[in-house]
Amino acid sequence: MAKKKVGQVTPVERDEIQRLFERRNGLNELAKILTADNAELYERLVTDMGETGTKFQQWWDTMAQKYSWESIPDGNWEINFDTCEIFLVTPEV
Amino acid sequence: MNEDNKPFKENDPGWQGGVAKNITFIVTKDCQLACKYCYLVGKNEKERMSWETAKAAIDYILGHEADFPEASVVWDFIGGEPFLEIELIDKICDYLKTEMFRLRHHWFDSYRFSFSTNGINYHTDKVQDFIKKNHTHLSIGITIDGTRRKHDLNRIWKGDGPERGSYDDVVRNIPLWLEQFPGGGTKVTISSADIPYICESVLHLYSLGIHEVNINCVFEDVWSEGDDKRFEDQLMQLADAIIDGGYYQDYACSFFSEHIGKPLDPELENQNWCGAGKMLSVDAAGNFYPCTRFAAYSLREKRPIIIGNVRDGIDKNKLRPFLTLDRLTQSPRECIDCEVASGCAWCQGENYDAAATPTVYQRATAICLMHKARVRANNYYWNRLFRKLELEGEREQWEKNKPESNDVIC
Amino acid sequence: MLQYMIILLDDTSTSFCHYEVNKTERHLISLDDLRAGIRLAMIENLNVQMVYPDYELPQEYKELINTIDHSDIVPIALNHNDADVVVTDGWNSTPPAGGVAVIRTTLAELLQHGEDVSKWLATVTRLNIVITDVASFTDDDQKAYSNFLNLLGENIDKLYVNGASPQLNLLTDRMMLSAMNNCGAGDTCITLAPNGKFYVCPAFYYENPDESVGDLENGINIPNKQLYKLDYAPLCRQCDAWHCKRCVWLNRQLTLEVNTPGREQCVMSHLERNASRQLLTSIRQKGTFLPDKPEITEIDYLDPFDKIKN
Repeated sequence: MAKKKVGQVTPVERDEIQRLFERRNGLNELAKILTADNAELYERLVTDMGETGTKFQQWWDTMAQKYSWESIPDGNWEINFDTCEIFLVTPEV
Repeated sequence: MNEDNKPFKENDPGWQGGVAKNITFIVTKDCQLACKYCYLVGKNEKERMSWETAKAAIDYILGHEADFPEASVVWDFIGGEPFLEIELIDKICDYLKTEMFRLRHHWFDSYRFSFSTNGINYHTDKVQDFIKKNHTHLSIGITIDGTRRKHDLNRIWKGDGPERGSYDDVVRNIPLWLEQFPGGGTKVTISSADIPYICESVLHLYSLGIHEVNINCVFEDVWSEGDDKRFEDQLMQLADAIIDGGYYQDYACSFFSEHIGKPLDPELENQNWCGAGKMLSVDAAGNFYPCTRFAAYSLREKRPIIIGNVRDGIDKNKLRPFLTLDRLTQSPRECIDCEVASGCAWCQGENYDAAATPTVYQRATAICLMHKARVRANNYYWNRLFRKLELEGEREQWEKNKPESNDVIC
Repeated sequence: MLQYMIILLDDTSTSFCHYEVNKTERHLISLDDLRAGIRLAMIENLNVQMVYPDYELPQEYKELINTIDHSDIVPIALNHNDADVVVTDGWNSTPPAGGVAVIRTTLAELLQHGEDVSKWLATVTRLNIVITDVASFTDDDQKAYSNFLNLLGENIDKLYVNGASPQLNLLTDRMMLSAMNNCGAGDTCITLAPNGKFYVCPAFYYENPDESVGDLENGINIPNKQLYKLDYAPLCRQCDAWHCKRCVWLNRQLTLEVNTPGREQCVMSHLERNASRQLLTSIRQKGTFLPDKPEITEIDYLDPFDKIKN
């Protein structure tokens, strides 16, 4: 894997995606133990997963547009939560 | 594309160092081992936390959200050996996740489950199932003290009969642990008898693939005359080995830090070192403590400091001394005037246990000579390393990518 | 530095402070111990305060006590004409003419006896009110106590305007002070108990007689004695409720540390401080009053802990 810094976000923007990242992980792990027996909570979970996933994707779309980060096919962007740096990660050829 | 079919992948977010609330469940006071340096003087097989107590603690804590404003939480599980109670822990974690979500608690967006284990049960099905279920929220440290002879010197199995070390029972689980938690660090404790094995032990841990070794001397008054010199010699050997072997590029050892060994400003650097009081511990009886070190099983000389319980809640008056503690008020003159004060740590629980009166305001200084020896070796390490990097033209590059270690002391 | 020595003449000596006397059997200090205590006080230049039980002392005790300059703290029931301080529990006693009086009372009782406070202030030179249930003061009590103090302040204001100068610890001390002036137990003040041993204060003796800090033979030795000093009290050293007792015994009861006050003591003292501020402002509107003393500033907290935390 090759990694190249392609941008930077603000701490506020970083906090936003970090919270969504944490929430998405939390919802995924909650989904492993919550069953449809608990109908009300289960329904809330499913709705929340959908909403969080959408917000998550929106953040990347918005930021990519705002900062015009370099991209290539098969590449991923990564964020370093400590430094707010954005990296383009590409598989080694 | 990554596994989420997204054209991007995040780094591990790391964790909210220093700003998270640390809440510890003392799930058992039992352990398979009887480590000679263990500060838990009152371990036993009887005091196991019941589900009812754990649930009452969770209900109290999550039900008083305003009293816990920290943005993040670390739910910590200790013993004894916490994984002896994996079934209870699993139930606790499931309940925590469900309740944080149900209550729309702000911690649902920022929590971790943390464990410090002796590693013996790490491979068992129950522990592995738990890890799979909670992987993105786990922080697990396995304690391995170094080489077989260093580890087995202290970390021996409990029971009568000939002494039996636990090295083989732990080391077999290290590869699995590092596969699951590649950044996993270990915590090494040094007391008098361990000093001759420090260098070989750190290098051994590196050879096992552990890139972060958090190591510290015990705070108790266990030191003999000459230990500081022997300690310094070991650290000098370790410094040479790390530099000559190039380990400094990818490995960290908390003994060596650029920030230690300087005088401290009496006004600007007056904060307390220890986090006791900002943390919260709960034991099998449902009592709350400012830190586990204030529970009865941790104390040699003093009575426990109980700051409340799961039924009546927290007595905030009992927290006031902890939350107003500063460095100067608790330090003797020699520490205030010390020219190498930075990085000299203390444990509030040991301070309390060793104090002349039942107070947390008297700093124990048993570690003084060992800290000074560490500072001397540390100075040597950085002087040698920087000179080498400069001669090789690598200083700038190294500064950008240097490995970080946490000064984890308890 | 030690300046005062309290000598409890008997196990049943009156309480003049927050603690309760939990001993009912008379047990006088021995004459030898009393003599040695007086000698030590003379050697160390200590001001002595003798605390009396509610019965007449034998003549030889009276004679020995008179060998040193001292103050007498006496229960009101003893009818001691020469008492420097008379002490009473509750509000049933008749105020003596002149002198210093201490009334020990619960908060609830105090709130019901505002008129009696004025009555006492009219006859004594100084009144110290000791609230005995500080530990059970809650945030719900704040308003009632604050209103009570302000009403009392209005009465004192009138007395001052009419040329009197009554002293009430809860309201007038803060106006007169320029720095912290607390109880001083363990720092400036030590207690000699009837068993011949020293204690931080009488409360420590009654709570646990095994917790002495020296005796007449070996001298005074207070472990961690720096913790009784203001400089070693992180909350108090930056506080300006200068009249606060800063009771180290209450501190230890509530927070387990002698140098850290509980919220109750802080809040009560700040309500008194704020009422003193109002009183001072009001008196000064009518003329020059204590011109060398600074203003008591307006603050937005009742517990200095909240200031530190924020």
